[in-house]
Order: sequence, then structure tokens, then C-alpha cells
Amino acid sequence: MIRFHEVTFAYNSTKVLDNVSFEVKPGEFVFLVGQTGSGKSTILKLIYMDCLPTSGSVMVGKYISSQLGRRETPLLRRTLGIIFQDFRLLDDRSIYDNVAFTLHVTGVKGAEIRKRVLRALAEVGLSHQRNKMPAELSGGEQQRVVIARALVNTPHFLLADEPTGNLDPTTSREILQLLKDINTRGTAIIMATHNYELVRRVNERILQVREGKVYEVELRAS
Amino acid sequence: MSFSYTVRESVSGFRRTRLSSTLSIVTICIALLLMGLFAVITIHAERFLEDLRNRVELEAFLVEPAATVAIDSIGQVITAFEGVDSVMYVSKATAAEIFKREFGEDILTVLDFNPLPPSLKIYLKDGYKTSRQVQIMETRLRTMPEIESVIYHKAMLEVIDKRAGNIHNVTLALGVFISLSAIVLVSNTIRLAIYAKRKLIRTMELVGATRMFIRLPFLLEGILQGIIGGVLAVGLLYGILGYLLRLVSPELAAFVHMEPAFYVAVLAAGALLGFTGSVISVLRFIGSGNGH
Repeated sequence: MIRFHEVTFAYNSTKVLDNVSFEVKPGEFVFLVGQTGSGKSTILKLIYMDCLPTSGSVMVGKYISSQLGRRETPLLRRTLGIIFQDFRLLDDRSIYDNVAFTLHVTGVKGAEIRKRVLRALAEVGLSHQRNKMPAELSGGEQQRVVIARALVNTPHFLLADEPTGNLDPTTSREILQLLKDINTRGTAIIMATHNYELVRRVNERILQVREGKVYEVELRAS
Repeated sequence: MSFSYTVRESVSGFRRTRLSSTLSIVTICIALLLMGLFAVITIHAERFLEDLRNRVELEAFLVEPAATVAIDSIGQVITAFEGVDSVMYVSKATAAEIFKREFGEDILTVLDFNPLPPSLKIYLKDGYKTSRQVQIMETRLRTMPEIESVIYHKAMLEVIDKRAGNIHNVTLALGVFISLSAIVLVSNTIRLAIYAKRKLIRTMELVGATRMFIRLPFLLEGILQGIIGGVLAVGLLYGILGYLLRLVSPELAAFVHMEPAFYVAVLAAGALLGFTGSVISVLRFIGSGNGH
């Protein structure tokens, strides 16, 4: 469970979020929509506690922002998978090593790493590309690698920050379908996007970030 | 956390950022070379002063005529003085022989008699060869009625004491300056290496790496760079002291000699320098930007 309780976040005395409260339950698929700069990424950062609320609290599973110790931040992040618009792949190592990296970091042993990496790559349809370098892949394929990297640690929540922002419409739809499939298998997904066309394609919960507030949005049938 | 993975990451990190790694190694090598040459100069300057100091002796001339029994007892009294290592009796005849050796003429031929008084040469223990201690000894000897006068190289001893003090102060100041400069240089170079890997560090943070896991490869890399810089510096120092110096000044080369422990110390200083430099950069630039 992710719970925002009366969260206010100010950056350089500018209020980005103002007294925001909402919940995301395990297994949910939630779109976080809003204009660029509205605070979508800030909400995701507050979830993986890259920044902390100015007031109020964020709860992610058993971790609460107001009680989070320095040493607990990495442990919290191991329960999450994070996907970025700009991929953030390590271009000095292969696709396999990029995905395995997460497991090395979290102390998983050799044979288990191999099994889990190959499974994650199979899930995103890239097993055959495992020895390639990131630069040799298309944008859509690179985003699939990022999804595999986020999935390999079997996270409870997958946070996707504009995952289709750099992709063409067809590839964007494929990525969305992939995320839907992952969600069907039980992983909760919070996807920040400003691509309303994509949001309209699937019937999922929508949270709109506007002027520092978060609103539940119902899609009107068109 | 897997230690073998950390080691592999350090070594491959080394390959991935060749330019900044090479820069670190060259910086460490130059710093060690400077520190090494400085140590060689300091050690030999002190060794030279110590050689001079070891030549310090007092010569107490005895009142004539001195009876053999009296000479023996004076010798025993002086030997018991604090700081005296040994006492050697120089008879009138021996003094005449020394004169002949030094001037090439027999004093008896020149003057028909031997005017040289018998004397006692007093050698001091290490730690008592300072101008202050020698002065105390001189005053004590002068109070003895059997002794007419006392001589020693007062001016030379004063110069040695003054220079030794200066060398110590300059050595300390320069040593601290060179070490600090080296640490600042190395830490800056390693900071560049960390900057080059900021994407890797950020990704590590986001996938749940502990701060120690992120920092450790950089610390190991720093030590590794320090050791490589140290090996290069040892090679260069050995080449300079063993070959280049012999070509430029064979006399100086014969005087200059460094023990193997010196080269081991340079190597250890390299590892320490790499480690300290990376600790400074790593503590400042890794793991301090997550909002806590």
C-alpha cells in the first residue's frame, strides 16, 4: 500500500504539492496525469524517497517518510521498480549486465542472478538481445530493458516516469501493453504521463495533478 | 553485498574511465616522486650532518709535567663523566708524530725540543655531540687542575646544530605541504572520476544499493590507482638514484643510498594517498543527495 497523507512539498519555497492525500493499493494500475512541471515526477520521487515531504507523510509498505532512517532508503527502493523516460541504462555494459546489476547491488548470488535476469529478459521479449550494448537497441527496446531491470527484483510497485515520452506512438502502445501484462500478474503500477491518448486506451484509475493538488478523474465516454 | 563483484566493479571501473584513472595515477606518481626525492634529500642532509657530528671530539691538554699515575686517574675520572664514550691518551711523543704527519717536519729538528703537551682525546656518546653538551663538558674539564686547556671545533658544532634545527623545521613544513598538496590533487582527480560515473552512481542509488556498496568500488579503485602510481614512482626513483645520478655525479651517487624499506614506504604511501584522496571525494560526493 502507498499512502500520501496531507503531503505538502515545497522546492526553494515554491509549493509543488499542497496538502495532498491519496492511496494506491497493491495490484492497482494508476495513471498520474498532468502538464509538464505539474508535480507528477515529484510524487514519484516522494514514493522512492528521493525527496521527503515538507509536511505530511508518505507511507510505502512498512516504510514511513517521517520515520525513515538513512540506512532504510535502499531497503525501501528494493521493494520498488523504477522506469525513466531517459532510460538511464549503463551504456558501458551489455543488456544482460544492465539487468543483472540490480541483483548484484542487492546481494543476490550468481546462479540465482542468471535465472532471474533471463526470466526478466524473456518477459520483455529481449532474451535474444542479451549480449548487445544499449546503443545497439532501438528506443522501444531500450525501454524494455529498463522494464526488465525494474522487474528483476520482483517489486511490489513499479513506478514509471513518462516511460513513453521518447517513443513513437506504436512503440508507446507496445510498452503500455507490456506494463498492463505485468500488472495482470499482480505488480501495482503507477505511471506518470501527459499522453492522454494512451490513457484513454485502457480503463484504469487516473489521478490528475493540477496546481499542487491531486484529483481523481473519471474518463468520459467519447 | 558481494565483495567479488565490488572488486570486479573497481577493476572494470578503472578500464571504463581510462582518462581520469590515468590522470589519477600520474598525479599520484608525480606527488610520490616529489615526496620521495624530498625524503632522499632530507635523509642525506641529516646523514651528512650526522657524519660531521660524529667527528666531534674534545682535546684536553694536560699541565706539564704529568705523572703517568695522574694521567691514568684523570682518564678514569673523565670516562665516568655523563656522556663520555671513551678517552684516549696522546703522549708528547705521539703528539710529535701527529705533527710530523700533518706538517711533514720533525718538531725536534725545528725547535730542538718538543713543546707539544700531552693530552686526552675525549669522545662523546650519541646525543651528547651538541654544542650545548660539549660546552658543559668543556666547563667541567676546565675546573680540573690537571688540565691546562680544552679545545674542540666549536664553530663547526654550532653550525651543525643550527643547520640541523633548520633542516628539521623546513623538512616538517615542506613535508606537510607536499603531502597536503598531493592529497588535494589526488582527491580532485578522483572527484572527476566520480563525476564521470555519476549516472552509474545514480542508478545504483535508485535500485537500492547501500551507500557502502556504492562507495567501496571507488575506495578500492583509489587504492589500486595509488599502488600503480607507487610502482611507477618507485621505478622512477630507482632509475634516478641508481642510474641518472651516477651519470650526472658519480661522487654524489656513491654517497646516496636508500634501503629497500624506503621503496616499500613509497609504495605504501601511494596506496595511502589513493585511499585518502578517494575517501575525501567519496564522502563528499556520494550518498549525500537523497533528501535526507
